[in-house]
Formats: sequence, C-alpha cells, structure tokens
Amino acid sequence: MRKIALGVSIVAMLATGVAQAQDPAATEFRKGFLAGSLDWSAVAERAKSEGTVNLYYWGGSDPLNVWMDSIVAPAMAELGVTLNPVRITGTKDAVDLVLAELGSGKMVGEGSVDAIWLNGENFSTLKKQDALFGAFAPLLPNAKNIEWDETDPRSLLNLRDFGVLTGGAEVPWSGEQYVCAVNADRVSAEDVPHSFDGLQTYLEANPGKFIYVKPPHYIGNTFVQEAVYAHNPDGTGAAPFQQSLDELGAAELARLIAPGLEYLKNIEPLLLGGDSGTPRYPEDSNALDGLFLNGEVNFNCKFGLYAVATGLSQGTYPEAAQEFVFPEGNMIKNKNYLAIPANAPNPGAALVLADYMSTVEAQISKLEFTGMPAGIDPWLLSDEDAAALAAASPGHTGLQAADLDANIAPDTNATLVDVIEATWLEYIERDSTDSIETIVTRAAENLNQ
Amino acid sequence: MARSQESALREKLWLWLQLSPVLLILAVLFGGALVLAVVQSLGFAPWFGVNTFPSFQYFGALWGSASFWESLWLTLYYATVSTVIALAMGIALALALVRTFPGKQLYKYIYKLPLMIPYTVGIALAVIMLGNGGMVSRLAAFFGFISDPSQFPQILKTHAGWGIIAVYVWKQVPFITLAIYAVMLGVGRETEEAAAILGANRWQILSQVTLPQIMPGVVSSTLICFAFNVGAFEAPFILGGGFPDTLPVVAWRYFNDADYTLQLQGMATVVSIALVAGIILFTYLAIYRRFERKIGRN
Repeated sequence: MRKIALGVSIVAMLATGVAQAQDPAATEFRKGFLAGSLDWSAVAERAKSEGTVNLYYWGGSDPLNVWMDSIVAPAMAELGVTLNPVRITGTKDAVDLVLAELGSGKMVGEGSVDAIWLNGENFSTLKKQDALFGAFAPLLPNAKNIEWDETDPRSLLNLRDFGVLTGGAEVPWSGEQYVCAVNADRVSAEDVPHSFDGLQTYLEANPGKFIYVKPPHYIGNTFVQEAVYAHNPDGTGAAPFQQSLDELGAAELARLIAPGLEYLKNIEPLLLGGDSGTPRYPEDSNALDGLFLNGEVNFNCKFGLYAVATGLSQGTYPEAAQEFVFPEGNMIKNKNYLAIPANAPNPGAALVLADYMSTVEAQISKLEFTGMPAGIDPWLLSDEDAAALAAASPGHTGLQAADLDANIAPDTNATLVDVIEATWLEYIERDSTDSIETIVTRAAENLNQ
Repeated sequence: MARSQESALREKLWLWLQLSPVLLILAVLFGGALVLAVVQSLGFAPWFGVNTFPSFQYFGALWGSASFWESLWLTLYYATVSTVIALAMGIALALALVRTFPGKQLYKYIYKLPLMIPYTVGIALAVIMLGNGGMVSRLAAFFGFISDPSQFPQILKTHAGWGIIAVYVWKQVPFITLAIYAVMLGVGRETEEAAAILGANRWQILSQVTLPQIMPGVVSSTLICFAFNVGAFEAPFILGGGFPDTLPVVAWRYFNDADYTLQLQGMATVVSIALVAGIILFTYLAIYRRFERKIGRN
C-alpha cells in the first residue's frame, strides 16, 4: 500500500514540476511578434525550427480531411513544417483542452493546441477566459486579402464573430450562409415555402415532412435564431440581437424571442415524428442529410452556401435537390475562423499555417475540394485572382448568388446564443410550463455565474 | 518454524509485487478519476472559476428534476430488459451446445462472431437494417407495401428502445453463452445423468441440477453485462428516442454544453450512475451469496 502512495506522490510531483516551468523564448517571441518588432522571415525561421503544427478541427467532413492531407500538408512541408491535423468530433473538445492546460499553468510554447477552427460561442469562451494568443491576424503578410477597414460595412464579418469583437485574435478562414434545400421531386414549385407562415401552411397539408437539427448543435441554434428574427414583435428582425446580454437585459430578450419560440412549439406536432408526441430531431447535419436523402423529410436547412452542389457530387443529396430562399430576408450569414490559443506549443508554425490559409491559392483549392466558401474578401484581390476564385465555386442550383445576397441576416450575439439555446431546451424539449420570461431570466443568471 | 514464517512472508511480498502494476493503475487512473468526479460534483472546479466545495447544490438540482428520474428509469429499463433477454437466450444456447448435433463445430465458431465485432458496428448494422431509411423499409417501399420509406413503422429512435435492446442482446448473448458453457464443461454431465437414472424428468433436471450448477456463470456474466448496459453511451445516443435520454447521454449533454458550470452537473450525473449501478450490483451479489450459502456452497 505504501508503495502505491509513493508512486502517486512521485507522479504528482512530476506533474507540478512540469506545470511550473515556463518557456521564456516562446514568451519573448509572442511579445515581439504582437508588438510588430519581428519581421516575417524571423517567424518563418522559428516555424522551421519548431517543425510541427497541431491544427485541431472538426473532422466530420471527408472532403475537408482529404484536402488537409493532400494539399495543406505538402504545402506546409515546403515551408519546413509538418502538419499534424487533429480531427475532433466537436470544437469544444479543443477549447476544453486549451482551458485545462492553461489551468494547469502551461503557457505559450507548452500546450498542445496550435490552431483551432472555430467561431461563435467557442471563440467567445476563449476570449472570456483570456486564452487567446493575441491580435495576430492583421500582422500576417496575407492579411492584405482581408478587409480590416472599419469604414467599409463589408468588414463587419471580419471584425465581429457572432457579435463579439474578434480583435485580430482569429483570422477569417471560410464564410457560410444558412441555406435550405428542397427536394423538387416531392414538392412542386408553387408549394415551396419562403416564410415561416408558408412553412406552417405546407406542413398542415403534409405533416411530418420537415425537421431541423436539435439545439444545442449550432446548426439547430441557427434555425431557432432565424425563427426568432422573423417573429420579432417589433419587426426589427436581427437588429436588437446584435447587442450583448448585458446591454439588452433578460426581460427584453424574453419579450423579443417569445413569439418565435411560440411558433416553434406550435409546429412541433407537424414535424417529423411529431404525431407520436416527440419529434425526431436529428443530432447533427449528417443525420439530417440522411433523412433528406431517404425522403423522410423534403427539406434540409444548414450552413451550406454550396451544400447542394457538394451534396449532389458526393451523392449525399437526392437528385432533385435545389436551393430556395427561406426565410425571406433572414438567411444568416457568417464567417468561421482560425484562432491561435495563448499556450500554442509552436507559435511560429501556427502563424505560418494561418498565413498559408489566407493565401488565394489555399482558398481556391479549399473551395474546389470542399465547397467551403472563401474566407478572404474577393474585392481586395487582383482581377485574375478574383476570377479564379469565382470559377472555383461549385455554383448554385435553383437560384442565383444575388438571391442569397439579397436575404442576408447577421448572426446573433454569442452571449445571447447560449440563453436562446437554453430556453429552447427548457421550453420546447422539456415542455416546461414556466413562462418564457422566467426561463430566460433563469438561463441568463446561470450563464452569468 | 521461523523459516516457514519467513518464507510465508516472502511469499506474501512476492504476491504483492506481482499485483502492484495492476493495483497502481487501478489506484491512480480509476481511483483518481473517481475522486476527481466526486469532488467536482460537490462543486470543486476552480479552473472554471467555480469553487463551492462541499455543496450538494448540483445533486440537489439534478435529483430535484423530474426528468432525472425518467432518465434513470429508462436507463435501468433498457439495461434490465436486455440482460434478461440475453440471459434466457444464452442459457438456451449453452444447453444446446453441450449436446451433440451435426455441424456443431461450425456453430461453435459462428455464435462467437458478435463478440469480435465492436458495438459501434452493431449500432451501424441496426441503423442500416432497421432504420426508417434502412434496408427493410426501402425494400418495403420498393415492393409497394408503403409509398415511401418514412411510413415504415418506427423501430429505432423511440423510447421503447427496441433498437438499443436489439444491439445489447445481439452483442451479449455470445458472451453469456460462453460463460455458462464454460461452467457446464467444467461440471460435466454426470450429475444430470445420475438424476435421470434416479427418475427425474427433464424439467426437474434443469431446475434442480443444471441451473444451480451454472449459477456462478450466470451471475458473473449478467453482472458484467448489466453494469455495461447501465453505463453505455453510444447505443442510446444513436438509437434512442431523444429527450428524456438515458443517464450517460444526459451526462454527455451536460459536458458538451457551452455553459461550463453545467459540467459540474454532468459530474453529478456520472456519480449518480456509479452510485445506482454500485448499489444494484452489491445487492445482486449479496442475494447471490445468500443463495450459495443456502445450498451449502461456499
């Protein structure tokens, strides 16, 4: 028994000993780079000496994984860095890891995550916990491909992530819009709904033919947000939801979201499986793709500007799939980003990776391989590059890019997302009999603990 | 005398030395995780800025909600039903295997197949075969019994949990069979033959002779299966009916919530699972010990 105690204490001593070490060279590098006193060749040199970069990203998309392995890895190897792609099932896993390592005292140069593909709540969490490397994005050589000028309204997506100021701590990597697809074999053109009322009318005639992904998955949260925008009692759509929870206040938030949540509760019996009492909400968009392909539902809503083209080429969508405008004026558009955590073990290599991802060639091949829209801004590119980027896009089925651009809505502020999500879970999933105001107040209190 | 004591001591030391690697791993990994889970569920998580240790607020919030008890009931229901069905099938299969019949050698290999296939593959098979977009429903639609696959009656993703139970049973029947079959081979058939000569009928032989003899195999295998079923996550997550979920899925949902303070509630859920499973398994073992003493085996 004593022997065990001894072993445990040795392990504990080793662990704390490691935790108290610091990496002065890496700390110095971080300070120097963020102050702008290091030129890029010094970063490239350091990246070569570090030799690896650990990129953590959601590995649920095969085309993306293929692109990482066959395009990014060789390109990084040319820069003297081995790409170590860590494919995770949820971005939160990487965020948890960063926070746990920071909690145990591992600082820059000592953690295990160099870069994370994220946006929204996950970025907001890292920012709140002060776990980000710093304002690196505008300092990258290829930052010239991204609009940082605040006076241009188009820069909003680069400067704010779900309403949270990015502060240059993450670099835009990809853009997305929430687009719904319809199976044109099963729904005639005049029956395709373009508003939430139209959807309800359609479902009354064809019960069970629609479902959305279950919150707290972000694909589901986004659908709920669109419903909330469309049912905003003041008719101001997304505007009030750009404020943070502290600015808006729980009571006001409850007033604004109540009609949208009432609507979602009312259509529950008309959703897939709703006749049995509990709708069969899919857990993620892969599950929803399956329902759509099998004809169990006739619609598929998710983030996917080119989802139909990609789905058709991979055979994951029914052959008659088409995009359509839904809901009019409230199709949420946002970007997603690469962030570098405060305790990146290879900060130089992480910067080199972020810079490579912002190049025109990387963005073009990403679009070709995965159908993920560009994160860089085409109006800043040379005509030749902009044309190449446009040519790489898989294109649209059923509508034009202009139709999508005419119906853009901004994302909800990250501090509100959690509250709206918690309210959905409480009011709709758990059939709570409390008023929406009570639920929102409780959720806001819990999150502010 | 002294020498024999010394050698006994050395024997003991040697025994502990042999056990130490296993003990160390158990104490550090398993014991450490258990201790951490308990202290977190009591409100110790300074890394999220939460430290109200010791407070029972997380257990209070969890046990105070009606949905927790629904989840607990579902968890135990799936675990019990699938263990009982697998046991009944396992005993029948083991009884058949001790007899001789043509093709027995082949059969002895075939029944072990599910043992080698991971649960996840079993779950995928269930989805491919029994799902509303699965083989069976598509064939039914193809032959025109129904107009599209979604009209097929739902087997998966319901709270009746037939999909979950099917996967557990499919995977655990061979395991239980193997345990009981091994005991039967060890005991031999002489006692059964003796009973038959003394005029016992088939039912009497089964209930008075065979069943008491295979009891150790029954108890050990069902204990392992039940404990696994209570703590299993993938099958109820993928094949279950959504809210209310089984407890392991509830815990996972808490852990995955963007709200970090809910992780403590998740820990309280995990500790609750361990408590419930522990109490049930200890009771089960205690009853079994009493039974063993009653029939005079120790």
